[in-house]
Amino acid sequence: MTRYLWRVIARQLHRSRTLLGLTVLGVALGVASVVAIQTLNQGSLLAFDGSVRAISGQADLTVTGALPTLPESLLPIVLGDPDVDGAWPLVRADVAVAGRPDLNLDVVGFDVFAPVRYPLLDAAATQQDPLASLTAALSQPGWVAVTPELAAAEGWAVGDTVTVSSGSRAKDLVIGALVDFRRFEPLAPRRLAVMDIAQAQESFGRRGRVSQIDVVLREGTDPAAAAARLQAALGPGARVQTPEQRRQDASGLLAAFRLNLTALSLISVFVGVFLVLTTVQASLVRRRREFGLLRSLGATRRQVLGLVLGEAAALGLLGTAAGIPLGWLVARQNLQTVSATLTSIYVTEGIDRLVLPPTVVVLGVVIGLVGALGGALLPAWDLARRDPSRLLSPLAVHDAAGRGAGRLALGAAALAGAGTLWFAAWGHGLRFGGFLYGFVLMLALPLLVPAVVRAACGLARPGGFGPALGLRNLRARLQTSSFAVAALAVTVSMMFGITILVGSFRQTLVTWLDVTIRADVYISSESWQRTGNDAFLEPDVLGTLAGWPGVVSLEEQRRLRVATVDGRPVWLNGLRLTDRPLPGVPQADLAGRLPLLAGSPEAAVAGLRRGGVLIGEPLARKAGLGVGDTLRLAGPRGPVALRIDGVSYDYTSEGGTAFVAMDVLTTRFDAAPPNNAALFLAPGSDVEATVDALRRAFADRPLVIRSNRTLRAEVLAIFDQTFAVTRTLQVMALLIAALGVSVTLLIQAHERAGELALLRALGASRRQVFGLFLGEGTAMGALGLLLGLGGGLGLAALLILVINRTWFGWTIRPAWPAGDLAVQAAVVLLVAAAAAVYPASRARLAHPGQLTRDDL
Amino acid sequence: MGDDILSLEAIGMTWDADRGAGRTVLDGVDLRLGRGEAVALVGRSGSGKSTLLHVAAGIAVPTAGRVVLVGHDLGTAGEEARTRLRRDHVGLVFQFFHLLPHLSLRENVALPGWIAGDDHARTHERADRLLGRVGLLDRAGDAVGRLSGGEQQRVALCRALLRGPALVLADEPTGSLDDRTGREVMDLLLDLTRQEGGALLYVTHSRELAARADRSWLLVDGRLRAEAAA
Repeated sequence: MTRYLWRVIARQLHRSRTLLGLTVLGVALGVASVVAIQTLNQGSLLAFDGSVRAISGQADLTVTGALPTLPESLLPIVLGDPDVDGAWPLVRADVAVAGRPDLNLDVVGFDVFAPVRYPLLDAAATQQDPLASLTAALSQPGWVAVTPELAAAEGWAVGDTVTVSSGSRAKDLVIGALVDFRRFEPLAPRRLAVMDIAQAQESFGRRGRVSQIDVVLREGTDPAAAAARLQAALGPGARVQTPEQRRQDASGLLAAFRLNLTALSLISVFVGVFLVLTTVQASLVRRRREFGLLRSLGATRRQVLGLVLGEAAALGLLGTAAGIPLGWLVARQNLQTVSATLTSIYVTEGIDRLVLPPTVVVLGVVIGLVGALGGALLPAWDLARRDPSRLLSPLAVHDAAGRGAGRLALGAAALAGAGTLWFAAWGHGLRFGGFLYGFVLMLALPLLVPAVVRAACGLARPGGFGPALGLRNLRARLQTSSFAVAALAVTVSMMFGITILVGSFRQTLVTWLDVTIRADVYISSESWQRTGNDAFLEPDVLGTLAGWPGVVSLEEQRRLRVATVDGRPVWLNGLRLTDRPLPGVPQADLAGRLPLLAGSPEAAVAGLRRGGVLIGEPLARKAGLGVGDTLRLAGPRGPVALRIDGVSYDYTSEGGTAFVAMDVLTTRFDAAPPNNAALFLAPGSDVEATVDALRRAFADRPLVIRSNRTLRAEVLAIFDQTFAVTRTLQVMALLIAALGVSVTLLIQAHERAGELALLRALGASRRQVFGLFLGEGTAMGALGLLLGLGGGLGLAALLILVINRTWFGWTIRPAWPAGDLAVQAAVVLLVAAAAAVYPASRARLAHPGQLTRDDL
Repeated sequence: MGDDILSLEAIGMTWDADRGAGRTVLDGVDLRLGRGEAVALVGRSGSGKSTLLHVAAGIAVPTAGRVVLVGHDLGTAGEEARTRLRRDHVGLVFQFFHLLPHLSLRENVALPGWIAGDDHARTHERADRLLGRVGLLDRAGDAVGRLSGGEQQRVALCRALLRGPALVLADEPTGSLDDRTGREVMDLLLDLTRQEGGALLYVTHSRELAARADRSWLLVDGRLRAEAAA
């Protein structure tokens, strides 16, 4: 039988190469979606992991602070622990490279005499006078070593000077050596740069402070016990973690982002299953007598089942073979936007290099095989269970489909009803409840398709050779038409669901920006804008800004990354509150700029003045906090308890955000100068002219000066960029669904050869036959749209009201992005029509002399 | 000549003629049909009867000779033009009916009118009138799958006559029916065609049915040998 299987596969590949080619492409796209997303997901984790390994690869423990930096005086305490074999401090600064808008360096300052195995020493050893390199690192101002990859990409050579900035402070660095971190850590970011710790502290305003202390323990020491002891010795201002704990933190931070993309990519696989189902079904109908003959000759049901599944597995493997490299290419194509999202929204390591992990390859193979076998199982089982005599007799498969449509619709209603009851009773309380409910709804939707197609097409009253006749034809071929419409319906549901979510989110964001972004001019630094990490505006900058003509109020903001006492990361924002309302500038009144979800603006401002805190909605939802509760943050000298005076809508981060008065930040969190400043101008001032004048005045400083209008546009651009990868997934799913239309119509062109020959014999022109098929493809698109609209609304409600709130914690006000939806609907119809072009061009070739007695 | 609905002059048809030694199906066939005339074509299987009908309908292009249909030389007409001529002047009846199972009786009959883009109401009115003449009007809205063979062929006759074609070509119209039903269908075919003023060329194995025509020809090895009987 195996020999027969191979012969059959070879014959099918030869005979039905177009059909199988399209199916393989569909499987490939499904596999590619998953492979691309998993590669990017893994890439985001591996980027962080690579960074940790490259910098702290030898460390058993890492000491970080409750605040971004630690006092270097903690080092002796660490070294004093009996189980510590070695420890060295590191200073890290994410700096912007002047003149390179997309480039920032992760500068690591380290003690060149520390027992740390950095390739700097290897680099020095290859030079003629290694000691000279080390001496230069210590003595030459701005000496830095960069990776050879970055140097090659930027055209830098040893001896070149590169201007970088941290906050408003610019610094010239001199390329002293090239160090290849990837020699011992293949995933090391190429933007790593190393320099002497003292120089780093001096250059980037970290005097007396370090970013972390890496610790090597004596052999045989239990890291957990040592960590606990060190934690106790260092006090609440420090946090002692193993590398694994740090990786878990990063993984948890990105969990929602990764899960959402994974769920979306699986929809492509689901759509691909319908494609396989259509092809296998058609193939089996065509070869029914062959299987009847095999059964008559003694082949068992199991052998027949195995034969069909074997063919499907071959399809799956071919699709997988194409899908994995395709997925890799898609991942590479989306690398920049995903990386930008990671850095701008999650403030984590961006991805500058992708690898295709073996686990993702295995996953791709499994997905391809499971999808293909899943698609083939039902028709294969249906075929295998039949008696040989039934297989040898003529078949009215479409009549059977018509009879089953009602039962399937009842099944759909039962499934959706049971799912809704389950979700209402239990599911809504589960973290994955929303996803499961969405999956059930997407499962129920295809079951509803045959009944809807039958009913909708049944309404058609052909009065000519036009669309109504096409609809009647779809109804007559319910079995194959339904699969294509189901694939389209699921795809459109996903497209519309996401479009409504994104449109609603964007509208909510615009409203939120209207309330919160009220100043006329915003000032930050290049490094802050790109990395969001510590970067300060120096006092002289603030002084100049405050005294600038036309400025009636300067509002400073300081943003500090801290954590709750139980380790939840929180962006703590310090606001310098004005003492009195500014006459003529009502927009500067803070109470008017607080988009509160809970609490009153006046009470919230009063609370802030008293030392209270305002928390963002995601933090409130995820930590279960509300007005009147206490937010407990890890401070440099122990826990800091702050009374919550308001909960505000906040879309700056899906993690925690909180707002306190600047003096709270200064006194209780040792905050350095502000990161940002906002200017309120006198009424009637020309904002853009002021921005231009400020830019000219600060031309030699690495500042980013934007008007209100520009800032809002940039925020929305970042928002749009965040969903770029989602759009790629939508396109891939739509392509698979379009392939479903092509495959279905190709099958129909074959099955309906007699009908087409008759039409031609009765005088239908080739153009009319072409138009008939094109109309049928468009009708499939329209039916998919109709069903997808319903599915999309359900999915949008689930995404906005359940999944988003559970996983991201944002309130999104539902909106109806009519323009976007109309464009997408037109695209779906166009794509469906385009997918019909090739089958239509085949169908138009039907010859009126082809009628045989078996036709029709 | 000027009144001829169909004129076949020295028609030859050789399959795979371009490959050298092809198989000759028709060889020097001459045939004329005048308005209102019924001609039967008799011959054994494989003698070229169906091919001759295909040539007459403009479905197949002969490798030799000239076909003139209602004054139009099919040899000089392109594929689209031949299709239009067939649509406007020819009605086809097949041995196996070839009705579309997902359309009702009325819709099957109306199909040529839909293809031609005729007025919807008039087409359906005409379809109903024809169905009434074959006794199937009360079932006009039914699916064709519920009909007997004879009933299906009656629907097919209506379809062929819907647009009042100048020429009706019937390829063994009774071949799938029992004798009695076959005779009934043949009666209808001859009567309706005459009433509609069209010419009829039909293929049959039956000498009895051939005898009902005005003229009948015997096709042997691709040649119209001799007029069998009138």
